[in-house]
Order: sequence, then structure tokens, then C-alpha cells
Amino acid sequence: MDRETREMLLETADRFFTQRCGKDIVNGVEKGVWPADLWKEIEEMGLPRIAVPEDKDGAGGTLADMLAVLRLAGSHAVPVPLAETALANLLVSAAGGVPATGTSTLALGKVVFNGNRLSGKVDRVPFAAVADRFVTVATSNGKPMVAVVAAGNVSINEVPTHAGEPYGTVTFDNPACEFAAASPVSLERAIELAALVRAMQMAGAADKVLSIAVEYSKQRVQFGRPISTFQAIQHMLAELASCVAATIASAEAAARDADEGGLADGGRFSIAAAKSQASEFAQRIAAIAHQSMGAMGFTHEHILHHYTRRLWVWRRDFGSESFWGEKIGTAFAKAGPQALWPALTSSQYAA
Amino acid sequence: MSIPKLEFPPFHLPPEAEELRVEVRAFLHETLPKVKSEDRFASWNTFSPQFSRELGKQGWIGITWPKQYGGSEKSFLERYVVTEELLGNSAPAGAHWVADRQSGPLLLRFGSEEQRQAILPRITAGECFFSIGMSEPDSGSDLASVRTRAEPVPGGFRVNGTKVWTSGAHRNHYCIALVRTSGQHGDRHKGLSQILVDLKTPNISIRPIINLAGRHDWNEVTFSDTFVPESCLIGNEGDGWLQVTSELAFERSGPERFMQNYYILRELVRVLGRQPAKRAAAILGRIIARLWTLRQMSVAVAGMMQGGKSPAIEASLVKDLGTIYQQDLPEIARVLAESDATTEEDMADFLDVAQYATMMAPSYTIQGGTTQVLRGIVARGLGLR
Repeated sequence: MDRETREMLLETADRFFTQRCGKDIVNGVEKGVWPADLWKEIEEMGLPRIAVPEDKDGAGGTLADMLAVLRLAGSHAVPVPLAETALANLLVSAAGGVPATGTSTLALGKVVFNGNRLSGKVDRVPFAAVADRFVTVATSNGKPMVAVVAAGNVSINEVPTHAGEPYGTVTFDNPACEFAAASPVSLERAIELAALVRAMQMAGAADKVLSIAVEYSKQRVQFGRPISTFQAIQHMLAELASCVAATIASAEAAARDADEGGLADGGRFSIAAAKSQASEFAQRIAAIAHQSMGAMGFTHEHILHHYTRRLWVWRRDFGSESFWGEKIGTAFAKAGPQALWPALTSSQYAA
Repeated sequence: MSIPKLEFPPFHLPPEAEELRVEVRAFLHETLPKVKSEDRFASWNTFSPQFSRELGKQGWIGITWPKQYGGSEKSFLERYVVTEELLGNSAPAGAHWVADRQSGPLLLRFGSEEQRQAILPRITAGECFFSIGMSEPDSGSDLASVRTRAEPVPGGFRVNGTKVWTSGAHRNHYCIALVRTSGQHGDRHKGLSQILVDLKTPNISIRPIINLAGRHDWNEVTFSDTFVPESCLIGNEGDGWLQVTSELAFERSGPERFMQNYYILRELVRVLGRQPAKRAAAILGRIIARLWTLRQMSVAVAGMMQGGKSPAIEASLVKDLGTIYQQDLPEIARVLAESDATTEEDMADFLDVAQYATMMAPSYTIQGGTTQVLRGIVARGLGLR
């Protein structure tokens, strides 16, 4: 979609999330209250199908459009599997399918399709306990295959994350598939795309953490003046801004590279670097924000934890800085010192 | 909420800049093997008039300046590529560095026609080198408190005072000095001007200040009733502060703020060998990701500047992150090499380089605006002060 259309969509979605996805909704999900109305309205806005082609009942947007919406969702701690469904729908439509309505999640792990049997077990599947369907990229005769399985046909062991979202371990044991077709996207690539989605959500959340901390410092009065006037606080928040800026900049650069390079393999190195950076900065961002807000920011009452706890969970989702760092380090070491600079300037893995 | 949005719109350097990169890289691959390796480690701290002349012959100094002054009228983004290639290949680019980056652009913007014609073509030829005369014994971060005075006298000024940390004054041709030309000490920004000083002028004494690594880069430059002709005033009397602040903001986010010790990363890749252990690979990969991010941010700021914006906060953020990265790098590299270097021989070479990098590291977060000054600027941008 053109720039103007995207800006309008983002503005509309921003207003919508502000009004309809407040603190009570986010806290409710943690207590097991599914916000059915919120999801229904999100579907009516077309957000889960934003990157699905129009001839497959989608909005016909690009990967970049989808990522922009998901960054925004990250800045509102939207507690439903919008990110997962949007990417799952993209994977299904890329394999020729027409995505069904409802929530989907990503079960990206070692799943094989052998003699018409789908089998495998995947840990840390986001929203496993509430998703209507599970989308996986299985290996079928050595080739990737997208398979969609309804929630009733898998076994789920719920393991909520520290952000209170209903993650879980999912086991496929010869379930019926709603859809199965050869995938232009490999499992490794699907994990990359999911990591990119998380990096963008983290950019949104990081941005929100900064604005929460800055606003708080202007309002909180101690020793007769707003704490924002203390140099110690100013320097902390300036450092926080630098960590947030790096998270945003790396995620946006990776989003651009993935979008321009194509769904099958665009921006591979940039995604790895961006997720490594987002995961690495998450701790510093959370630490400074909490320190600057004292006891108030440590309460359940305040919303800061909606974002800091998500940063702590998301940094591990689809590869932490250790995982992506190892991929990058292994490739660059193998290519040797002479390949380092040319690779860095072209945003590619060294070869 | 009302805080300004921090955005780093991803930016592609244009094709002409990437084409120039290929040329610059080929030139450097040809030229650099002749340079001693210790000179390459110091990169833009290495004074090599010979290298600067060769670069000047290629037309790559003052590359954005008008042709009438010896420039090539290329874009700011092409200059960006030349700069990052010099750093990425550890070229000994110190002689012309300040003239190309700061002094030339200042003269182009504020200098007289006579000054431009006399100086700029010599800079672009790689034959005229500059020092910065801002800091004084009592004026570091608080630059507006400078005491050096230039009294108007018939035909010019009589200058008295002392400048410190004046890099290269013992071998450069000129120094641009920030001086008080009117009013009193304590008037702060008012009454300050910049003057172009030929360092061969009588009654200037230049004394070395050796840094902790044993290098003689810095000097103390003392003016004792030094006469400087009127034609050396840059721009209008009293505009010094305006000039200095625009000069300081100039390219705060350039690649020199995170590429100054790039060689240590390249050396680390070498000593870890082609198949490092998982843990070592992960640490290496994380540093590479960090450097890549800094470059994306810096290129994004360059793109915003090319687009006519003034991303002052963003530029300060890049410098803050970049200089701290540079400070972390030698430590991360040393610890990793000590546990994971492949051979002892490799390790001995590496430690030599690492030692130098460690000693230089404190300077990165001080030069050209300390971390604390930068954070003050960012805090103002966030509306905190």
C-alpha cells in the first residue's frame, strides 16, 4: 500500500488500540479472560490479513506494511496473537492457501511430514492455549511444507510466559490438516521472519517504555521539583533513549531489507543482527526505566510491566542474542577477516 | 504522549556513492600494503602527508566542495562513503582529516573569498593541514568560557592566551582559534570570534602534550602578543559561537564515531580462526550486530541530513552509542581472545594491538563532546531541560 494509505491505517489503528486495548484488557488476558470483542474488531479492520493478497481475501499489503502495524501493536502490548496470525496468514497465502478467519499461531520447530503423518513437538508456542489453529513449516521429503492444524487436533501443554501470555508446548501426532502445501518459505526462513516480527514488536514496546519513563519523570515531584530536572535522571533517560533508538533503527533496517529482498530470503543478515540487538538491549531498557520510576514502576498497578515483561519474553522468542549472535559469528569467522568489512557495508552474511 | 519521536528511517546510499566505494576500495587495496601496520591501527590519528597527497590526487578530499576551490561537487553521501572506506580499511588519514571534515567546510560557509581561494585548493590537494583551537586549560566542555583574547589593533589583532589538546599543531599549517574579540570574560557567547592562524606566525609557542599511550598528538599552543592580520578573522566579529556550534554539530554521527578502532574487530576475527567455539561465535556475532546497527543509524542520519533535516538528537545518540561501543570493543575482544585464540603466535600479535586499543579507549568518550555533554543534549531533546 502507498505511504499515505499506510500512515492512515497506522493512525486509525493507533486510536483503536488506545481506546480498546487498555490496561484492563491486558491484565484480563493474564487472568485467562479472552478479549473476544477486541479480536473481532481487529479482524474487522483487516489487520491479521494485511499482507495477504487481495485474491486470497487479504488487504494486499506488503511485508513492510504488516511489520509497521506489528511495531504499533508492540507499543500497545496488544495481548492477542495478532503478530502470530498475521505472519501465519502470510505463510499460508504464500503457499497458495486462503487463510481462514480466527486466531493462528506459529509452531516453528522440528515437525516432519512422513507417509501422510505430521509429527513433532514444538516448545514455547505463543498463545498456544487460545489459538484456533497452529501453522507449522514441516519437512516433507526434505522440502518445506506449510501445514495448518485446528486446535482440537493437537495436544497442548500450557506454559504461560513471565509476561502472562498463554504460551505452551504443542505436539502434533498425525492430526488432520486443514491445509497442507509446498512452502516457498523454509523453516529456517519462517523463524527468521518470526524473529523480525518480534524485533519490530520490541521496537514498539521499547519506544513506549521511553515515553512512559520520560512522562513520569516530568510529573513526579521530589525535593520540591520534578525529578526530570535532576541531572542524574536526565542522563539515565538519555541513555535509555540511545538503547531504544538502536532497537528501533536496527529493526526498521531489517524490515526494509526483508521487504526489499523478498519473502524467501530478503534481509537474512539484517534480521539476525536486529534480533540480536533488540534482545541484547531489552535488559538495559527495562533496567533504566524501572530504576528511573522507583517503586511506582514496580507495582502491578502501573502499566510499565506490560512492556518490560514482554521485552524479557520476546527477547527469547524465535532466537535470543545468543542464537542469532552465534549464527552471525560462525558465518563471519568462517569467511575470515578480509570478508568482514565488505559484508558489513552490504548488510550480508560474510561469505 | 508528547516526547519527540526517535526515528531512523532506513536509508540506502545512492548508486553513485556505491560506485565510488568500489573505486576507493580498489585504490586503498593498492596503496595501503605499503603503510606500516602500526600506522594503520591509528587510522585517523596517523599523520601521513604522503597518503593525504595521494588521496588528494584522486579528488577525494573536500569532495563536496565547489570545483572553483578544488572540490568535486559530489554529494555529502559520497563523502560519507569515502570516510567509511578510509576507516574500514584502516587508512592513515590523519593529516588531512580535520581540514576535510571541519576547517574546510567552516571556511566555505563563513570564510572570506580571499580565505577560500588561498586555502581550500591546498586542502583538496592534500597539502594543507589544520588544527582546532577551541579548548583551553580552563575551558573544556564549557567552551563559552574561553579566555584567549584577540585585541583589535591597527591592521589586525594582538592575541594572548593558551590553547590545549591542539592535535597536530606541531606539524599542521593552520589553526582555527576561538577567541574573545570584544566584551569581558563572563560575557559567555557574546564577543567570541574565530580566527585563522598560520602556525608559523612569530610569537606562537608550541609545546608537546604527550598522551598516556606515549604519543605526541596533542600540543599546548601559546599566543604571546601574537599579531594576526585583520584578513584572518572568519566571518563577522562576534559570530564565533554560532560558527563553533554549527561546526560541532557537523557530522556528530559520522562513521569516525564507531569505526575508529575497527581494526581490533578485524584482528579478533583473525585470531578466533575459522571455526570458533559456539560461545565465542555468539559473542563475536553480537559485536558485529552492534557495529552493523551503528552503521545503519549513522547512514539513516546522513540520509536525513541529505533530505534537508537537522537530526541533532539522533546524531548525538549515534555518537553516544558509537563511542561507548568503541570503548567496550577492546575489552570484549581481549577477554574473548584470551580464552579462544587459536594459536599463541596469533595471540602475541593480537595482544600488541589490543594493548594500544585499550590505552586509546578512554579518549573516545571525551573527544568532540563528552558522553555527559551528549546526554545533556539528548535530555534537552526529550524535553527534560
